[in-house]
Amino acid sequence: MDAKVDKDSDTKLSPMLLAVLANRFDGVVREMTNTMLRTGRSAVINSARDFCCGITTADNELFATAEGLPAHTYGLNLQTAAMCEFHDDIAEGDAFLHNDPYSGNSHPADHTLIVPVFWEGEHLFNVCAKAHQADIGNSLPTTYHAAAKDVYEEGALIFPAVRVQRHFEPIDDIIRMCQRRIRVPDYWYGDHLAMLGAVRNGEKRVHDIFQKYGSDTIKQFVSEWFDYSEQRMRHAIKALPAKTIERESAHDPLPPMMPDGIPVRVKLTIEPDDGVIEIDLTSNIDNMDNGLNLSEACSISNSVAGVFNCLPSDIPRNGGSYRCIRMKLREGAAIGIPRFPHSCSVATTNVSDRLLNLVQSSMSELGDGYGLAEGGLGMGAGTSVISGLDARHDDHPYVNQLIIGNNGGPGSPYCDGWTTYGLPVVSGLMYRDSVEISELSYPIRYREISLTQDTMGAGKNRGGPGAKITYGPSHHPMTVVFAADGQVNPSKGVLGGAAGNVGHLYITDADGNETPAPSVGMVELPLDSWLTGQELAGGGYGDPLDREPERVLEDVLEHYVSVDAAREVYGVEFSGDIDAETLAVDAGATAAKRDEIRAGR
Amino acid sequence: MSTTKPQGWRISVDTGGTFTDVVVADDKGGFTIGKAPTTPDRIFVGLKGALEAAASSLDLSLADILGRAELFIYGTTRATNAIVTGNIAKTAFLTTAGFPDVLVLREGGKFDPHDFSKPFPKPYVPRRQTFEISERVGSQGEIVTPLDEAQARDVIRSLGEKNYGAIAISLLWGTANPAHEQRLGELCAELVPDIPFTLSHELNPILREYRRSSSVAIDASLKPLMQAHLRDLQSDLRAEGYAGEILVSTTIGGCLDVDSVIAHPIHTVRSGPAMGPVAGRRYSALEGRDDSVLVVDTGGTTFDVSLVRDGHIAVTQDTWIGERFTGHMLGIPAVDARSVGSGGGSIGWLDDANLLHVGPQSAGATPGPACYDQGGTQPTVTDAALVLGYIDPDYFLGGRMHLNVDAARKAISTVSEPLGISIEAAAFSIFAVSNETMINAIKDITVSEGIDPSEAVIVAGGGAAGLNIVTIGQELNCRGVIVPRTASVLSASGMQFSDIQAEQSATLPTRSDNFDAAGVNQVLEDIDHKLEAFAGMLAERGFSDYDIQHRVDAHYAAQVWDIAVDLPHPRIESGTQQTELAEAFHASHRRIFSVDDRLSAIEFVNWTGRLSVHLPEVVVRAREVKQTAEPASRPVWFDLSAQSEARVYRGDQIPVGQTIDGPAIIEEATTTIVIPDSSTAMLTANDNFVVELTGS
Repeated sequence: MDAKVDKDSDTKLSPMLLAVLANRFDGVVREMTNTMLRTGRSAVINSARDFCCGITTADNELFATAEGLPAHTYGLNLQTAAMCEFHDDIAEGDAFLHNDPYSGNSHPADHTLIVPVFWEGEHLFNVCAKAHQADIGNSLPTTYHAAAKDVYEEGALIFPAVRVQRHFEPIDDIIRMCQRRIRVPDYWYGDHLAMLGAVRNGEKRVHDIFQKYGSDTIKQFVSEWFDYSEQRMRHAIKALPAKTIERESAHDPLPPMMPDGIPVRVKLTIEPDDGVIEIDLTSNIDNMDNGLNLSEACSISNSVAGVFNCLPSDIPRNGGSYRCIRMKLREGAAIGIPRFPHSCSVATTNVSDRLLNLVQSSMSELGDGYGLAEGGLGMGAGTSVISGLDARHDDHPYVNQLIIGNNGGPGSPYCDGWTTYGLPVVSGLMYRDSVEISELSYPIRYREISLTQDTMGAGKNRGGPGAKITYGPSHHPMTVVFAADGQVNPSKGVLGGAAGNVGHLYITDADGNETPAPSVGMVELPLDSWLTGQELAGGGYGDPLDREPERVLEDVLEHYVSVDAAREVYGVEFSGDIDAETLAVDAGATAAKRDEIRAGR
Repeated sequence: MSTTKPQGWRISVDTGGTFTDVVVADDKGGFTIGKAPTTPDRIFVGLKGALEAAASSLDLSLADILGRAELFIYGTTRATNAIVTGNIAKTAFLTTAGFPDVLVLREGGKFDPHDFSKPFPKPYVPRRQTFEISERVGSQGEIVTPLDEAQARDVIRSLGEKNYGAIAISLLWGTANPAHEQRLGELCAELVPDIPFTLSHELNPILREYRRSSSVAIDASLKPLMQAHLRDLQSDLRAEGYAGEILVSTTIGGCLDVDSVIAHPIHTVRSGPAMGPVAGRRYSALEGRDDSVLVVDTGGTTFDVSLVRDGHIAVTQDTWIGERFTGHMLGIPAVDARSVGSGGGSIGWLDDANLLHVGPQSAGATPGPACYDQGGTQPTVTDAALVLGYIDPDYFLGGRMHLNVDAARKAISTVSEPLGISIEAAAFSIFAVSNETMINAIKDITVSEGIDPSEAVIVAGGGAAGLNIVTIGQELNCRGVIVPRTASVLSASGMQFSDIQAEQSATLPTRSDNFDAAGVNQVLEDIDHKLEAFAGMLAERGFSDYDIQHRVDAHYAAQVWDIAVDLPHPRIESGTQQTELAEAFHASHRRIFSVDDRLSAIEFVNWTGRLSVHLPEVVVRAREVKQTAEPASRPVWFDLSAQSEARVYRGDQIPVGQTIDGPAIIEEATTTIVIPDSSTAMLTANDNFVVELTGS
């Protein structure tokens, strides 16, 4: 957008108008988001909330997003830039479909619809809706094809900003192509309609704002809003200590592709004098011959999300605040800018989760009160994709991603980890399936979903607990596909906090024999067999010996922490008895026990 | 007590957190308001004070009005407050073995993904009070694991030994086959007969274990408290000589007899906000407005908004007590009344880049706005209204409280100075930004119901509503604003217009492409049977005029969120009627989401019947004006840059039919209505101020 408005103080918008217009644009995105949530057809949208809505300016700066997944906070601007680059005849009434990870998208499963918004003949904004699809026509029935050695083996239909509406009318060729190639095409089409509804609605609401305030005021608002956001971000960074932090972690081994795991590296430079944070990802390994490479959008989005997680959460996340982040990415790197045709099929979760965890835990090296522990991760039993034939409905095929397990969140400087956290890239936003709805919709039976004692990374503020989940088919055999992590490398604690548990996945057959399942891959569950996943807790923040004994008591009473762990890990001794409801902290014995543990370190 | 007993006096009472409001409707349609501070320790003390206040305005005694009244409708926030404060019975939660964390894990969801400063909410019933019962029912109602009765006996017996006050029983698929829940109920009655319990299939037979269990836990936990509370009220009223019927207002905007409410006290939760739209519906109908109606109720700290469409009050299954995701889900159908934390006490402040925000912090009642002179120093919306001239410092609350303009200006200077603008401009900005929160809340509810605000009229209640509601109506391009003279007691007024209402539901999932008409009709038959039994009981007490309406919660196959659709016919007999039902769903989906998908199957899930027993209609009439006077005038700020002279009217001196052009201010003892330049107000024969928004 040509926002070159005279910035003299007497032509500035009134403080009132700035606040009011910020609210109005926020309202547009919120309305789009609610429309998607309630009309989306596949569980990844209406339950997992794996979508985002946003607005970019016509010169492709990220302008407004609301309540989107951290994994999606950045990238819409790259996609609208691609649209502008690829088309010189953009007009009102157009809509474009974009899912190309080589020109700005997160990964091919995230279809994005972009509608350019015109006012008085001028292209001023783009409204966008991005949503993970239930299927995208991959070579295997999953949208996360970890083994794909390149985009051809992956097999997704790739749309680099392809026009799907002209003069507000659909271009049926594209719709028909998708319907031929995408499994369960009615789900896809239902979600496509939900996204169209959201973006057209957003377009209408932006027009309402232009109608009321006129385009000069809106242009000036955009410019001032970016400046305001930048200023908020600079203030927050100026309050941090100066430091350069290098840190590394690793995704679990993935035999046979990556038998030693995938290293994830970052170098953060905090420059408070300039109010800038540099995020350097260039030391990461080269692109891999599998589907776990990150797209450029995911590399930026998840490392920046790790920073935002450690700053005041009301800083607007847009082109203005992004001015304070300097990204260093390398082309051809697994975490960086992917070189075509390397596959980015699984870009949004596994390595992204590791990257996000790495950045937020790096920030804790600034000292007590900064940063976060690592959050629980891995798409194990509770977030797997189930498929098969439903004997209750004439053997009709079904395929669906479950959102019913639980990884716990990271301990923070302020409180314990959020329990229903899910994944770092999701950060608690997703809804959980109901057991009853799931059993009604699919031929599945659950045996157990319960939070597991002593899983959480201990700390002054502990991690959120992980769940144990067990389910199996209720009629015919069932195929289950998952991409777990954390079976070897748990989520780490910081500043003296402990790591969370390691995960497990195993199958119990009809005779009660237990067999380990691979952490990434596919299993067939025969009737009367059960898949069990022990999911991950978050890491702890700070020394567990600094946790207030009364909070440890509360955890013991609530069965999150055993009496033994309270004593050995937290150094808290009790008098009384749980069953008699008389358990109490023995202050003297606790002090002695804590001294003893400290002395033994 | 007077010897002759005129027909039809009706008393309604709304005991809020701060004030107890009373409305006495006499046989001529006159509404008399009484207000007194709420006395939480003994509710009847404050209630009696409010009744006496109303009686004295009528030059009558308390005994007089109680003697003349035939109907007493009671609304209370007691249950809501108990949930919020956790002041509830020690409650045990009995759940299916393997699923102890239903109340902990909830349905997931969180606001800001980048905010790690807020702890995860505690479950409504602690894990230590949760007991896993060895049993399992499957999705088709089949018994997967039989109930281990010996284990169940041990658990239930131990609850008696450990002084539990209530038991909540909610098993997986208890709705598909209630045998295990029923047996647990029998065991409770046998082993711990003094502990009240609630069974999920009886209270709320819906799918989704969290919201069902949450409703059961809430209901059980309230039983000891609410039973005592309502019995006390009953005996106190009888002791004062009241001999008529007592009804209690409910979550769905109706009322119920005391015994029904004692059996399931959850039905009293959030009954206050539920009554606003009942009032709004009647007031807009009286004015001949059949538009959609947005009903707003402004308190000192919260702003409630609800919606009436085609005469139906919008109902939701997603009511949270406390904040969404971190509060507790009510789980039963409730009037969709959305609360946002915004009101006269909301504080204006600047962030570190000088952007103006208002709220969510509030000065509350103490210290209150700076102009109250009770120690508040931060600028509130009330301070802004005072500086702008909307409020007369000498006629606040009818002159009972004097406001300090200097203190308000000083507080607002903390915002105006850093921004380099005048105090009046800052006050205007605070006011405008505060309106945004309310505009958002209104937009949110209209979006979820598929209504355009420009098709709606606003009915405004609450003492502070009149200050900004006309401006908000202009901003939203609404069709008009109605401020009833009884605006300050909207909930209590709503009770005057409510019906006795009861609902029964049942779960029967069936799809439009394989429709189980026989099963559905059987379910509807059972629902009607139960409702008619209840109606028969009421008929014996003289309430015989009733009807039953049905609705179904449904979604397109594979959607997970339902929308409610009214059944076009009481039974679904023919193929044509099935098609009509499907069409009704498509139409609702299109209205709400702008799209439908006629190729997709529709899954119908939850069937509900609502019994409405109509109470005799109350007619409202404006009283005659005793004296009229020329309006005064004072300078008021209606925009950022210029002051204008507004005429100031005393509400009790305005005759029916007089039009008042803005800029003007109408001052009532309990409310102030600000009419900007481009709008016109008129007092109607129904005692409402109707404002036409010609300027938008």
